[in-house]
Amino acid sequence: MKKLLLFLLIGFLISGCAKQQLYNWERYPFSLYKYKKDPTDENLQKHKEMLVAIMENSKEKDLRVPPGVYCEYGFILLKKGKKDEALKYFDLEEKTYPESAVFMQNLKSYLNKSDKSSNANISSSETAKKKEGI
Amino acid sequence: MRLFKVLILFVLIFTAGCASYTTKKEAFPQMYTDRPLSILVLPPINQTTAADAKEYYSVTVTEPLSLMGYYVFPMEVTSEILKNEGFYDTELLINTPPQKFRQYFGADAVMYIKILKWDTSYYVIGGNVKVSVDCALKSTISGENLWKYDGTMVLDTTGSDGGAGGLAGLLVKVVLTAVQTAAADYMPVARQANFMTMSSLPYGKYHPQHNQDGDSKIIKKDNVEKTESENK
Repeated sequence: MKKLLLFLLIGFLISGCAKQQLYNWERYPFSLYKYKKDPTDENLQKHKEMLVAIMENSKEKDLRVPPGVYCEYGFILLKKGKKDEALKYFDLEEKTYPESAVFMQNLKSYLNKSDKSSNANISSSETAKKKEGI
Repeated sequence: MRLFKVLILFVLIFTAGCASYTTKKEAFPQMYTDRPLSILVLPPINQTTAADAKEYYSVTVTEPLSLMGYYVFPMEVTSEILKNEGFYDTELLINTPPQKFRQYFGADAVMYIKILKWDTSYYVIGGNVKVSVDCALKSTISGENLWKYDGTMVLDTTGSDGGAGGLAGLLVKVVLTAVQTAAADYMPVARQANFMTMSSLPYGKYHPQHNQDGDSKIIKKDNVEKTESENK
């Protein structure tokens, strides 16, 4: 009796421990908070490194890169003017998470439009058009 | 035999709290019919006097939500796009029908978060933060509420594992690092609050237990506050 109970108890404990984490987020919220609080180049660089660490360590542990990480990284590249690289990461996001397709397509068309107006911001007429849509 | 008595005692303690439980399917039946895959989290609305609460909350919400198995749109990107589209005002966002977010983002559901209370208190050997939130997940197809959480959590800031130790349904052990720098002090609190809040959501597509957790027990909404303080 005693043995059985002990066995059960151990069984419960083990089943609780063996849970494999779905994603590896590293310390994402901490570097992001720091950057949002104090948006310096240095803090952005640190957050970028955090995103790289998440991507690399996820691959190493054979986990899917968490949702949005590819896209967020691509967005930072885009703001730095690295359009081609940014597109690569938007594609990776879409490939990893097909439900992001609509948003990724919109992001890309947004990017092409902003190219024409030679400005990172969307032009005012387009903003007005979008406002009706959204 | 002594072990047996201890076990009985354990069972008694657990069942004492069971009166206020319900199942996920009973509480949120529409989550199981609608089955949203992707969630757009809108910037939280801060109704407290703690100016930083909004940032603490917005940077810590994606992680627990994704771990529940959902695709979460990257808030850093979506909030900027929303601003570019003229949504500077959070009021404007709340009053926009959820269906509109389907067009641009392709989101199945939209998460609305209101921070109602963020009260810090200190005592000799430690301190805690009382956090009240009102969260709702709305379908972008029907516009209806799929899931809801409103309650108060009392979170320990002493630096140990906080008040969440005995909480059933907390999936991932939240490791609280006692970061002593002023800026990071409340990050673990917001993170833990988000983990606790999201744990009552049914599992999404990317979770191995997707569609199998309809019978798992969660604490009934109106008893949340009481249970939380008992846990302390």
